[in-house]
Amino acid sequence: MVDPIFDYQFRLILIGDSTVGKSSLLKYFTDGKFAELSDPTVGVDFFARIIEVQDGTRIKLQLWDTAGQERFRSITKSYYRNSVGALLVYDVCNRSSFEHIPLWMMEAKRHIEPHRPVFALVGCKIDLVGTDNNKSGSRREVSCEEARMFAEENGLHHVETSAKSGLNVEEAFVLVAQEVYNRIQTGEYKVEDGWDGIKTGFNRPNGMDFNLLEAETVQSTCC
Amino acid sequence: MPSSDSENFESADEGQDHIKKNVRRKRISSSNYSTDTSEAEPVCDQVLSNSSRDTNIEKEKQSDGWDDFDIEITTENEKHPNAKVLSIKDASSVAKKDIDSIGTGWDDVGDWGQVEIVDKIKKDEVPKSLPKPEDQSNCDISEVTEKLAAASTKSGWGWGWGVDSLISSASAGITTITSQVSQGISNVLETSIGAPEPEELARKNIKEETNKEVLSDKVSELERNDKKTEQSSSAESTFPFGNLLSGVTKFVESTGTKVIAGGLDTLETIGKKTMEVLQDGDPGLAKKRAMLGLDSGDKPVLSQILREAKAKAEEEDMIREEKKEAKEVHYENLFDDFEGLVHLEALEMLSKQVNMRIEERMRSIEPEKKQDLKETLQQVAELCEIPEDEEDDDETPDDTSKPEAFHEKLQTATQDLGLKLQFQPLVKQYTDVLEWLSGDEQVGEKAVYKRAVSSLAQATALSVEIYHKTAEMLLVKPRRSTADEADALTQMTVVLTKHVSDLATAFTVKLNSIAADNKQQINEYATNIFLESGNSSTYIQNAFQLALPILQIGAV
Repeated sequence: MVDPIFDYQFRLILIGDSTVGKSSLLKYFTDGKFAELSDPTVGVDFFARIIEVQDGTRIKLQLWDTAGQERFRSITKSYYRNSVGALLVYDVCNRSSFEHIPLWMMEAKRHIEPHRPVFALVGCKIDLVGTDNNKSGSRREVSCEEARMFAEENGLHHVETSAKSGLNVEEAFVLVAQEVYNRIQTGEYKVEDGWDGIKTGFNRPNGMDFNLLEAETVQSTCC
Repeated sequence: MPSSDSENFESADEGQDHIKKNVRRKRISSSNYSTDTSEAEPVCDQVLSNSSRDTNIEKEKQSDGWDDFDIEITTENEKHPNAKVLSIKDASSVAKKDIDSIGTGWDDVGDWGQVEIVDKIKKDEVPKSLPKPEDQSNCDISEVTEKLAAASTKSGWGWGWGVDSLISSASAGITTITSQVSQGISNVLETSIGAPEPEELARKNIKEETNKEVLSDKVSELERNDKKTEQSSSAESTFPFGNLLSGVTKFVESTGTKVIAGGLDTLETIGKKTMEVLQDGDPGLAKKRAMLGLDSGDKPVLSQILREAKAKAEEEDMIREEKKEAKEVHYENLFDDFEGLVHLEALEMLSKQVNMRIEERMRSIEPEKKQDLKETLQQVAELCEIPEDEEDDDETPDDTSKPEAFHEKLQTATQDLGLKLQFQPLVKQYTDVLEWLSGDEQVGEKAVYKRAVSSLAQATALSVEIYHKTAEMLLVKPRRSTADEADALTQMTVVLTKHVSDLATAFTVKLNSIAADNKQQINEYATNIFLESGNSSTYIQNAFQLALPILQIGAV
């Protein structure tokens, strides 16, 4: 069970072709574990973890792990609406999973409208891009450069990860969370009724408010 | 080797200016051939012309002789200025008188320091000593040129600095100041400009002054004239440097002073301002001192403040802890933490989506068929009505455990659904709860209550998840059989609501088994547990209701 105290809750959705590694990515991020075998996701699954952004604000990330299978496509699109961020996930050893990224992005944009989510392009299974003598390993089919280029063209963050070694897994989520938080700070995003992309969390303990009150009274005597 | 030496000399002396070099050469050659300019010169000439020695050596002397002479003046004059003048005269007179003393005469010119020895040699054994002085002179020449090379590197600059005492003192000031102010700057100045050490500069000045004083003959006059022109020219070239350097120094100096002065001013201002603020309407700080208890002899102020701060912190921690604990037994929060809320929300999203599709179909359908559609939808809804407390076959067979029986019931209820549902998490949770409740360890009523609320929230969350998953799978199911599905889900709902009420009962039994003094508290907990189980049933039935459109759409 997660620590109950947090300041904001962000809802992030993970989308991309089936078997690219969305669930494994989330399992590592929330559990620190990697499963060699896992059942395909049915519809949508949920994960949660609290992280801290740069100024120490505690963010609960509610992560929607969608099924990549074609047959769930009509269902998963119902889930986009309340997301504030979307991770576009592909497999670096699966060319077509990368080629479908623009379609996933368009679909997400269409369903999240009028909200404009934070996107991140996340390459998975970087551990399979082994050395040349690693015969069992798959060959890389998506170069880091072209992915980065696509990300730059579309104003996305890009990161290559491994849910097996844990490489960049944390970074991928922190990246998006920080960006969402920054947009809250600039006023681009707001907590809105009827939209669950961003929610305020539990307040800090009473002590804080107490201190604030005291500080105010001191100020008033001064002026 | 000698010619290269001369080259070294030239280049070292005036390496920075080729035009000057030429001028200097002209000067040297002119002085070489004018017999009346120097007394030493004719000696050389005579010596050279009269001697039957190697022409190479002669040439070497011819070109080097004057230079050597020059060096000797600058490097050794300051030591024995008088002796030197004398020796010059001696040497020349001796040379004039005695042609046989070729080598020694040359030697005299070449090495002033050995005048006395030379004199002796001259008088006594001239032929014998001939080779020796030659060796000596050779060695002297090389030694001298070395010295010269070293000296001239400095003197080239030294002249520039030396002209003006102001500049030299300024430069001395610069080196000291810069080395004090900043090691970096002094490094830059010294390495890039090659400014000589102040001490050395001073020595140079003295040397040159003595030179000027001592050398009264025409050679030195000419030399001096030349020097003057050089000095003026080199002074011109170095003067901007001097300006730049002193400018830099001034800047560094003034900035440093400003920073320090500014800093002090700021501190002073802050101090004054602070006192002003403190004493505002309170001269002598009487009130404030009284307030802080500084005058009342109440010494342990700090420790008391610290103690108070600690108490306050502890209080805050307690509040925080209470809040955390309140949340821990807060059903809704727990339900959220177990992802029940989000599953319910997702199910709701699906439900709305499907409802919209049904409504759409209703609008697009022909009016006569509309009634049929409505009836179908109504029939499905009726199938999903929960039967009121029908058969009460609660008695589980003795050979199966409660969780197993629960699992079996769930599977029986959903066998016509045509889906593979995951009941394991729910069954496992039930197993864990029963294990905990039957544990031997002593647990307080509060612990039981907390566990009860948490378990109910978890069971409910897992139940809602099952509805959510069922809805998703039904939507992608190729062949639908709505009646079966509706019946199965209804039965499942009965099993699940029964399950949460069983859980609540198990916990209250445990609560009542605790021999506590506070019966009131236990009753309160028990009531709450039943309330939460009712809450759980509501969530489960809501989930079921949300699944209704998913069942309905399969029929239309």
